[in-house]
Amino acid sequence: MTLTRRGFLKAGAVSLALPWLEALAPATPGAPAGPPRRMVCICTPLGLHAPHFFPANRGRDYTLTPYLEILREHQNEFTVISGLSHPEVESGHDSIFSFLTAAPHPERRAGFRNSISLDQFAAEHLGERTRFPSLQLSHEGFTLSWTRTGAVVPADTSPARVFARLFLDGRPDEVQAQVRRLQDNQSILDTVSEQAGTLRKGLGSGDRGKLDEYFSSVRELERRMVRAEEWVVRPRPRVEVPQPRDIPSSADLIGRTRLLFELTHLALQTDSTRLVTILMGGTSLVPPIAGVSLDHHNLSHHGQDPDKLNQLMRVEQETLRVLNDLLGRLRNTREEGETLLDRTMVFFGSNLGNGNSHSCRNLPVLLAGGGFRHGQHLAFDPASPLPLCNLYLSMLQRLGIEVDRFGSSTGTLTGL
Amino acid sequence: MTRIPGLVLLCLFLAGLAHAQTPDAPMKVAKPSSEDRLFESDIRPLFTKHCLACHGADKPKGDFRLDKLNADFGDTATLDHWQRVLKRVRAGEMPPQSRPRPEKTEIEAVTSWIQSRLELAEKARLAEGRVVLRRLNRVEYGNTVRDLLGIEVDLEELLPLDTPAHGFDNVGEALHVSSFLMERYLEATDVALNAAIANGPKPVLLKKRYDLRDERHIKVTTEKVFRKQDDGLAMFTSSAWHQIVLTQFYPKDRGRYRFRISAYGTQSAGKPVSFRVMGGPMLMGTKNHIIDYFDVPADKPTVIEFTDYLEARSHIALLPYGLQHANHVNKIGADKYDGPGLVVQWVEVEGPLHDTWPPPGHRGIFGDLPQGKAPVRDDSQRVEVASKTPEEDAQKLLHRFARRAFRRPVTEKEIQPYLGLVKNRLGKGYSFEKAMRVGLKAILVSPEFLFLKERPGKLDDFALASRLSYFLWSTMPDEELLFVAEKGELGRPDVLRAQTERLLKDPRAKAFTVNFVGQWLNLREIDATAPDFRLYPEYDELLKVSMVKETHLFFEELLRDNLSLTNFVSSDFSLLNNRLAKHYGIPGVDGQVFRKVMLPKNSHRGGVLTMASVLKVTANGTSTSPVMRGSWVLDRILGKPPLPPPAGVPAVEPDIRGAVTMRQQLAKHRQVESCAACHVHIDAPGFALESFDVIGGWRENYRSLGKGEPVMIDGKRMPYLKGPRVDPSDVLPDGRKFRDIDELKNLLLEDKDQLARALTQRLLIYATGAPVRAADHKQVEAIVEKIRGEEYGLRFLVHSIIQSEAFRNK
Repeated sequence: MTLTRRGFLKAGAVSLALPWLEALAPATPGAPAGPPRRMVCICTPLGLHAPHFFPANRGRDYTLTPYLEILREHQNEFTVISGLSHPEVESGHDSIFSFLTAAPHPERRAGFRNSISLDQFAAEHLGERTRFPSLQLSHEGFTLSWTRTGAVVPADTSPARVFARLFLDGRPDEVQAQVRRLQDNQSILDTVSEQAGTLRKGLGSGDRGKLDEYFSSVRELERRMVRAEEWVVRPRPRVEVPQPRDIPSSADLIGRTRLLFELTHLALQTDSTRLVTILMGGTSLVPPIAGVSLDHHNLSHHGQDPDKLNQLMRVEQETLRVLNDLLGRLRNTREEGETLLDRTMVFFGSNLGNGNSHSCRNLPVLLAGGGFRHGQHLAFDPASPLPLCNLYLSMLQRLGIEVDRFGSSTGTLTGL
Repeated sequence: MTRIPGLVLLCLFLAGLAHAQTPDAPMKVAKPSSEDRLFESDIRPLFTKHCLACHGADKPKGDFRLDKLNADFGDTATLDHWQRVLKRVRAGEMPPQSRPRPEKTEIEAVTSWIQSRLELAEKARLAEGRVVLRRLNRVEYGNTVRDLLGIEVDLEELLPLDTPAHGFDNVGEALHVSSFLMERYLEATDVALNAAIANGPKPVLLKKRYDLRDERHIKVTTEKVFRKQDDGLAMFTSSAWHQIVLTQFYPKDRGRYRFRISAYGTQSAGKPVSFRVMGGPMLMGTKNHIIDYFDVPADKPTVIEFTDYLEARSHIALLPYGLQHANHVNKIGADKYDGPGLVVQWVEVEGPLHDTWPPPGHRGIFGDLPQGKAPVRDDSQRVEVASKTPEEDAQKLLHRFARRAFRRPVTEKEIQPYLGLVKNRLGKGYSFEKAMRVGLKAILVSPEFLFLKERPGKLDDFALASRLSYFLWSTMPDEELLFVAEKGELGRPDVLRAQTERLLKDPRAKAFTVNFVGQWLNLREIDATAPDFRLYPEYDELLKVSMVKETHLFFEELLRDNLSLTNFVSSDFSLLNNRLAKHYGIPGVDGQVFRKVMLPKNSHRGGVLTMASVLKVTANGTSTSPVMRGSWVLDRILGKPPLPPPAGVPAVEPDIRGAVTMRQQLAKHRQVESCAACHVHIDAPGFALESFDVIGGWRENYRSLGKGEPVMIDGKRMPYLKGPRVDPSDVLPDGRKFRDIDELKNLLLEDKDQLARALTQRLLIYATGAPVRAADHKQVEAIVEKIRGEEYGLRFLVHSIIQSEAFRNK
């Protein structure tokens, strides 16, 4: 019997976790060995009210704050970190561009050029192992993920569609049509890339750079399509939950976030991907949460108004509850004797340290899982902030990637 | 200034400082030349003497370091930094007044050295062309594919957002390509070809008259807010849940539909009544679009006619505007209610409108080739284009298509790869149409289609045609423009001028307004914040769409009538409807149709600075910030963008509890000299605009949610309180005082050249898709010179841009 993912899942019947199957993974030279390591990066783009998030005292015996209280059951599985920020990323919502990239000065816009995001950097090393090198999920459509050349990696907003891509096999004729389409697309890409030589003639260096970016994108997509063709005929893993229904209202911050988090758990447990980014909502709409009558963006500009602060707390507490559920799901899923949470870093934070003033200093940061020694409040001095990339570097190394620098890192994060 | 990739080694040597470098930054070591030696011997010492005390390595003021600046003008970051230095030194702003003044000769030495180096660098750049190869952005891509294939499908939604640079999303240097984007292009192409190619018989024309009294909502609602009259349905409320969806109309084919609505105002005291029409699937949470707001006169049945493009299985929906809340009407009961209402007699729909079948887009690809039966699983009616001589036809069709797609003539040789692909597919047993689709798709993802290709030097007629049409239409040249280019005449100034006029008069020029003004004045951000409804209960959707429309129409008015661009700062007229006029406190404007209105003397309006749209996008939903608005004015209107705030200085935290104003909070800021250097420029226009709240309403006092007296309007108590008084007065850096926005506008008008310069630069960036740099400043000045003699006419400015060397060269 040939070993297929579906065969295995069926054999395992109710087994939730899919053990990592070396036999199924195409071997990539230079890729890290050892048990699979995963990473989920979550950003809540309007910040978290700092006094409700950061503990007043540091170390292992810190006092839980209103927000961290919600995660109490996981207290030994996460670390809360204060005093981190991206150097050279200044106030404003545009800091979202650099959240996972640390590219300097998105707020200036003119001349800004993004660089590779944490997840895509990791995908360059780990991506070949899974059906999807990475997943980008988003509440509203913007993304946290960027390519090496600073181009957008588009994010998906529809859990139903992503679920279908991950877990639903088409009819045989549909699979056939898909294969044909992939082959057509490969021929098309082949045809255009053959024109590189003639087109480059007579161009200045700037133009040549642009054209080279185009042709390397074409070649990269060709490679991805070759791999997609291998995967498309391979049955998808089957999960014991129905396809989710999309929540049409983008006001529903919590409902949509929950769907994205549940999908993330399924994607990880079936090893469909190991890298997920999630950009949560931050809309100018009123989220359907008891006691909340003002829109979320507005609340983040609370102007110290006690009523607004109170409503903001309700929104953010709900956010933390969904996060708590995700951590619970990951902890309750086992893989080769370990919990999935032990093998999955869940990084939760925001590009804003203070939504009211748009400040990007002292970002709220929480890292759960991934097998670190958790259970503490790592407090760095906000007056001389450490780069958030130090944490990113620690995370990359935990993924088994041999790297000693990422973005603006000056080293790994001490104390983790 | 902190990171100048590429010059690190030199910096280390010169400044002896460790410097973090990004791992990806290319290492480039500038060769020492006589110029560099001059820099070291004559120029650097001047900086050391006068500047490094503040702008050295240790806590550089304004986060601007001069100790690391070097002479490699080939590096764009360095180049930009030198430009900033030049600007500030020339303006006498640096060194600041409080510091010892450098000798005149020293200033002269520095400025002329920078200027000459900038010009040299620019010469080198010009040899390559100032505009780097740029791809179509998502708006241009969507428009181009739509025009090329004659379809109306929304393709932009399928593509990721572009990153703007230098204020616009069509600047080549920031328009990247990735494998993800290529994948999306392939998907978008499938969607577009499916929409363009007719695979069925002509959709049956629906022509029907509907009666709103038959709608289910009327039958099931328990609230007494509708009155069934003999001649139609009277609607008395504007509460959103009583919007009437015309469920009887549910087309199975997408396309353009013509609507005719017969309606009139009732019990409205002779005043017109307005209503909104929306189109879309009308399911909860789905994306619907506003078709428009319409007016009908009192008591006189009037037919409103419009067309709209709808996807299959869409509805339209009607809702009166400005009528009473449903609870109020319900309490009285619609039959007894004597307040204003809207009577809708009937709604007629006709469509989908197709003059010919297959539609023009289909024939644009396949000409008159016949279609034959090609049934599939779930569609027995399906047809496909067939050919008896597939290879010859493919060659002919691809050739014709590629000429339009590439926006220039193409040779047989250039067609070969695409033809080869089609032949290969035919060989694999694909039908003619299927094989052609593969070839067409390849053309639509080829670089010749996706990029605006321009050769260094003077643009050839085809590149010029594309530049012109993407500037004014955000889409490909039409047949006439291509034809003029083919004749080789577009390069002639009179022909170019005539074509510019033709394009500006075409409805497609709307794209210029929407995309240029939408970015220049940030109107695209109109939805970025929603005003706090406790502070701004009067805000509604019509106000929002009217705000944007006013600014669009105002721009178009100036452009059409060649009015002076100084109107953007101060003007005695605007374009208003009733909603906006009410917002501005201007009497005598009935109905929601926009018209030109002469502004009363005391209106405080006129010009974009005091338009609600601009005032809204420069505020958040709760509070205004003089800093945000002030920098916006400096950047967008005066063309003197302030330096970014130094690192680590926190923004002022807004406080709306009513105890302290932003001005008081900022006062502390301005006492610090290093802050004052910039804030003396920034805050002044910002303070003047404090007279306007976050939705652009005039205010004498702030609104507060904490402390303050109650506010009554029309006998109703408002949910907000009367906060501290606004003080809009301030002083410009040169000492000129103003009491309020009206006086400030007059002061700004004193330097008309600067206003012209600022707008010229913006337009030039947008027109060419490249930033304006040092060497372009001469051209900018030449244009300013030209339009000064023409009373700064906006249309003349657009012509001058198009006739300029910068526009006509790569």
